[in-house]
Amino acid sequence: MIDMFIHNFKYAFKTLFRNKPLIFWTYAFPLIMATLFNLAFSDIENKEKLDIINIAIVDNEEFQQNIVFNKAYESLSDEKNEDRLFETKYVTRKEAKKLLNDGEIDGYLELKDGKPVITVVNNGINQTVIKYVAEEVAQAIFNQEEVKIKDISSSNLSYTMIEFYTLIAMTCLYGGILGTYAINMNLANMSSKGKRVSVAPVPKIKVILSSVCASYLVQIIGLMLLFAYTGFVIKVDYGSNLLMIIVLALVGSLAGLTLGVAVSSVFKTSQDSKTGIIIAITMLGCFLSGMMGITLKYYIDKSVPIINKLNPASMITDGYYSLYYYETLDRFKMNIVSLLVFSVIMITISVVSIKRQKYETV
Amino acid sequence: MENIIEISNLTKIYSELKAVDDLSFNVKEGEILGLLGPNGSGKSTTMNCLLSLIKYNEGTIKIFGKKMSPDSYDIKAKIGVVFQDVAVFEELSVYDNIDYFCGLYIKDKKTRAEYVEDAIKLVGLEDYKKFYPKKLSGGLLRRLNIACGIAHKPKLILLDEPTVAVDPQSRNNILDGIKKLRDEGATIIYTTHYMEEVEILCDRVIIIDKGKLLASGTTDELKKLARIEEKITIEVGKVDEKYIDIIKSWDSVEKVSLNANLLVITYSEGKNNLGNIMDYLNKEKIKYNKVYSERPTLNDVFLELTGKELRD
Repeated sequence: MIDMFIHNFKYAFKTLFRNKPLIFWTYAFPLIMATLFNLAFSDIENKEKLDIINIAIVDNEEFQQNIVFNKAYESLSDEKNEDRLFETKYVTRKEAKKLLNDGEIDGYLELKDGKPVITVVNNGINQTVIKYVAEEVAQAIFNQEEVKIKDISSSNLSYTMIEFYTLIAMTCLYGGILGTYAINMNLANMSSKGKRVSVAPVPKIKVILSSVCASYLVQIIGLMLLFAYTGFVIKVDYGSNLLMIIVLALVGSLAGLTLGVAVSSVFKTSQDSKTGIIIAITMLGCFLSGMMGITLKYYIDKSVPIINKLNPASMITDGYYSLYYYETLDRFKMNIVSLLVFSVIMITISVVSIKRQKYETV
Repeated sequence: MENIIEISNLTKIYSELKAVDDLSFNVKEGEILGLLGPNGSGKSTTMNCLLSLIKYNEGTIKIFGKKMSPDSYDIKAKIGVVFQDVAVFEELSVYDNIDYFCGLYIKDKKTRAEYVEDAIKLVGLEDYKKFYPKKLSGGLLRRLNIACGIAHKPKLILLDEPTVAVDPQSRNNILDGIKKLRDEGATIIYTTHYMEEVEILCDRVIIIDKGKLLASGTTDELKKLARIEEKITIEVGKVDEKYIDIIKSWDSVEKVSLNANLLVITYSEGKNNLGNIMDYLNKEKIKYNKVYSERPTLNDVFLELTGKELRD
């Protein structure tokens, strides 16, 4: 059976690699977008590098008694600390509101019932950082761990990097188009070629599996092209996180691919329609995860967190941001696991859908 | 001869439409069976049921003596299918397309290479091995479609309208190829609505319409059902009705019609029909131009059985 797997893999790879529309969406389009992002954001990056963030803390009894929060913010606001993030004012709630309304601070924190409540007026990178730090400290208390937050002001998480990370997420999810092809070329009710494969003495799950593996290889080549182009041509500095970034991209690609396989298995429609569905899901997912501005991701995280918890694009970008915001890899690992769980759910939907199909019509 | 296919009481219903209605027939080893019927008569649905590509409501299908199911890989390994729609990969060359589909059946690379070459030769695509499907004409594409379906040298071949929309040269090439396959020992089911092809190729014919079996037998046996022995068509000038009534009264004449200047006389039997009608026209001084005498066709049989033309 391994011979059959290799035979099908070889020709599926050839077929996918020579398919011009497919190569455009999975290879050329991300490179075009990378070029455009570079042109559009390189100037902004220089102007918008993160500075020390002005915040206020409502200095109530609960905050004074919470030693972990007290020490964490004291440390993060210490002028002598190389990892300093904040310029912090300890005030009453009324004063904090006034400072916020006057634009003197980006947000303020108040502890209520042991939980941090963040109040901001605008949405932006600074506000996102304030929220993430508060979450991290609260999580550390919950886990009874030491608080470890990196100096993100020196970690160069610029607009450009945010855009490149959403671009990687987009490329990963565009792998879904490859997944739809892998299914369409093998199922009798999807294409005439699928009909021919279905009458052959080969279990369809095995043929599909080898086609999906070929699709994954084609997708990985596309990702490597994107990393090579952004790294060597556009000179994006992925820093010391490159290995983690690649690992997350590989897992994200698996999520994208399996999303395509599931869409293709469930919907009986043309290849063009399936491609359209994947492009729509990808663009929407990337939009919600901050492709057109990180503020939207923050807004959704705050108001409807379930959306980005289910959004694979957000899982990918959140994983990347976590490499900058947190010293530990806990959040990064959580995003990896979320993407793997997402992939397993997609595979389960596909297998159930394919196994149930003995067609009414072809 | 042994039955390769046994279909009993097959019924397939789409919503409210009975596409196949209690259909039963057998296919014997080594024969070419013509499955004849107009568009929408249930031919392709029958083929899809036979291949377990679609569910059917009632009946049984046995191939090579075993019940056919989607997991009957031992049966599938001995079947080759040429579908009505061209099913090839645009991104693969002629050779690669055939090699890919053949490889789903034949694991050994050396044997497969020989089989692929044989298939290319059979359909006459030797000069187009490296061509991509986009560069092939409609006829050549059909030939490639056939090669992809039969390259693994199957014992049973199902051909679903393989000559639709092809040029005469490709059609002849395809028909010659099918005869060769039969001569090499394959059993073939050939579905079409081109009756001429059935008459040339098939040992036995079954005619279906609205999913029902209307008749089966050899072409000669079927033609007898039409109660037609000969059809004579004459281009005439003006003919008085009284002469037509006289011709109609002859014993061997089944039907007479005059459309524009074409006088069509259908005979149920008799010899020397042509001589008799010529003598009569000369005697009555009825002017005529061209005269055609035809043997009945399967279309006449179909007309007789259903009241409509095969190509309706």
